[in-house]
Amino acid sequence: MRQQYARRSQALTYVMAFIAVAVVVQMLRIQNSEEAAIFRKRASNYAYELRTFYPDRGEIYDRNGHLLAGNKTVYEIGVDLRAVKDANAIANALNMELGTDYMTAINAIAYPSEDISYVVLADFVDAESALHLQELKQTLQQQAPEGVSGGLTGLDFKAHPQRSYPEGALASNILGFVTREGRGYFGVEEKYDTLLAGNSVKVLLPTDPNKAFEIPRVPDGTNLILTISRDLQSAAEQILDEAIFNYGAQGGVIVVMDPRNGELLAMSATPRMDLNRFWEYGAIYSNASEFNPAISMPYEPGSVLKILTMAAALNSGSVTPDTTYLDTGSILVGGVMIQNWDQEPWGLQDMTGCLQHSLNVCMATLSTQMGAGTFYSYMDNFGLGHLTGVDLAGEAAGRLKIPGDADWYPVDLGTNAFGQGVAVTPIQILMAASSIANHGRTVVPHALSAMVRDGRQYNVPAQFAGSPISDQTAATLTAMLAHSLESESSLALVPGYRVAGKTGTAQIPVNGYYDPSQTNASFIGWGPVDDPQFMIYVWLERPSASIWGSETAAPVFAEMAEQTTILLDIPPDNIRQQLAAR
Amino acid sequence: MNIPNVTHFIHAYKVAPWRIQRQWIGNALLAVVTLAMVATLYLDVTAKAAIAGREIQDLNAAILASQQASADLQTDLASLTSASVMKERALELGFRPMIPEEAEYLIVPGYAAPRPVILVTAPLPQMSAPSIPPEYNESLLDWMDEKIAMSAKGIQ
Repeated sequence: MRQQYARRSQALTYVMAFIAVAVVVQMLRIQNSEEAAIFRKRASNYAYELRTFYPDRGEIYDRNGHLLAGNKTVYEIGVDLRAVKDANAIANALNMELGTDYMTAINAIAYPSEDISYVVLADFVDAESALHLQELKQTLQQQAPEGVSGGLTGLDFKAHPQRSYPEGALASNILGFVTREGRGYFGVEEKYDTLLAGNSVKVLLPTDPNKAFEIPRVPDGTNLILTISRDLQSAAEQILDEAIFNYGAQGGVIVVMDPRNGELLAMSATPRMDLNRFWEYGAIYSNASEFNPAISMPYEPGSVLKILTMAAALNSGSVTPDTTYLDTGSILVGGVMIQNWDQEPWGLQDMTGCLQHSLNVCMATLSTQMGAGTFYSYMDNFGLGHLTGVDLAGEAAGRLKIPGDADWYPVDLGTNAFGQGVAVTPIQILMAASSIANHGRTVVPHALSAMVRDGRQYNVPAQFAGSPISDQTAATLTAMLAHSLESESSLALVPGYRVAGKTGTAQIPVNGYYDPSQTNASFIGWGPVDDPQFMIYVWLERPSASIWGSETAAPVFAEMAEQTTILLDIPPDNIRQQLAAR
Repeated sequence: MNIPNVTHFIHAYKVAPWRIQRQWIGNALLAVVTLAMVATLYLDVTAKAAIAGREIQDLNAAILASQQASADLQTDLASLTSASVMKERALELGFRPMIPEEAEYLIVPGYAAPRPVILVTAPLPQMSAPSIPPEYNESLLDWMDEKIAMSAKGIQ
């Protein structure tokens, strides 16, 4: 009996062991079968998804922290073709809410391309419209009988950022814009496109929650802080618009720069565009150089260039402020007769008188006295004919013909001295003149004040481009220019502040001849003279109320300078001197 | 009962087949219970890790949504306080642009002229997942693999 029981137990043990082994063998067989390999392969297709992470584009602020360019959420609206129940309802809803074409939507849903399960019907839809559609989808779903899908089932919403400019057209010529493809055009947006956009990252993202820590952290684009003051920019744009209207000009530019470090404080130009409607670019501008004429439109500046000629003459020792000269009203240079702007002789003049009365003959005399080598060497050192290096996209270099060039003639030595036959941009004039306002040192104009990335702020230091003249020459010339403005009771004078500057009235060449009725009126000035904190350049294109820079650009300079002193908290000279005396 | 009988009884008890079988069954049950406990523990840890992973995924999505909402609000705020809007509001409230003669300058000891804005005050802490110790994200099998690999290295 006992043995029989033992045998049964043993048999049962073997059976159980066999079943256990069979289960294990079967498990191994299934796991290593061809079907298992197929299933594993199928599963692996869902284990990871390839995703591209696009970091948010960096924001742009003005020097006081006002947002000039940010991001806002817009929606891509598409259809999951596998889930669509009513293509007609979807096409109708989109037509009513977004104004999209009904038939286009129907065709896209009903006749999709092969192997496509998702169709985009609209993109860059604003949040409000997308929300309306989402609510409509929910309402239809709630109204549908139980177990039946709503009419907009399959409609899908994907949020993504889009560039937004809260200030609209303000500083549009400085900022530039970003297209829907995410590429920056013009200004800061193009110049710092790589920094702002950040680096997109393409990764295989595990769907397994146990591997959630593998989700990459993609840093956003770098935020930029500009040197521009929003309020000063707004004032500059308003003053420019009023000046263009009052003087009947076709266009204009006002640039405000700190001559001590090259920080651009304001840069207004016309025309401007609402950056949120960048697609209107083609209707507003006929070519790229019109977007920001302050840096990309070279023109003959006329008499404002005389300050550079005088600086060269003073620094080279050719003349002193007291050097006298007898103005006969004309001079022959390179076989061509050069005359004063009024075609009249001005008699005995000193160098301050030359500047005060803006005598072409005097300037041509100075340049010929210096000789082509010295004169063009100074002009080259001032940066004429070279890019300034301003950190805005689309800068033009202008043109300074020099002896040896095929199109240079001896008369150019005379005409270049008073700003004819030479093409410069406003930013070049500002950079060149900064050496006079900044103790002989030329500053590189720039719009970027700092970059913010990964919680750290990197400030951009001032850059200098050389010292074409001495500190003493700069001081002497500044005093001469200030005195000449005061002597003629210029409209550029600013009550309470001593300023230095020079007008320019340049006739515009038409069909190879200078048209006396069409001029570029300009003014370059800076102040306060004893401690220059702003430098302003005004350019009015073809003013019809008066052709003279002294009657159009000069008062615009004064108005801009007044606003600058208010907005930058620059006290009048007497108060500053009181403060300095303490 | 005399001592030889006791010895014989103990011997008989020790070699009794039912006792050996019971020992085998006991050992087998112990192994099964141990395996079940380990499996339960493993399942519990794995489930918790999966839930935590899903929460991380959800939180990442929430962070992205918050960042988008924050960017939207910031842009909206900037639009509401843009230069043109503020100027319009100021005019509506009866303000007008100041003229230079109206400016009064006061001497304030220690006043420093405003400099370009500083948008950050301190570096942000690094919030990246790789700083999580392996104990919190590796499975039991991963841990065993690692230990086996380490012992293999030790043997070599």
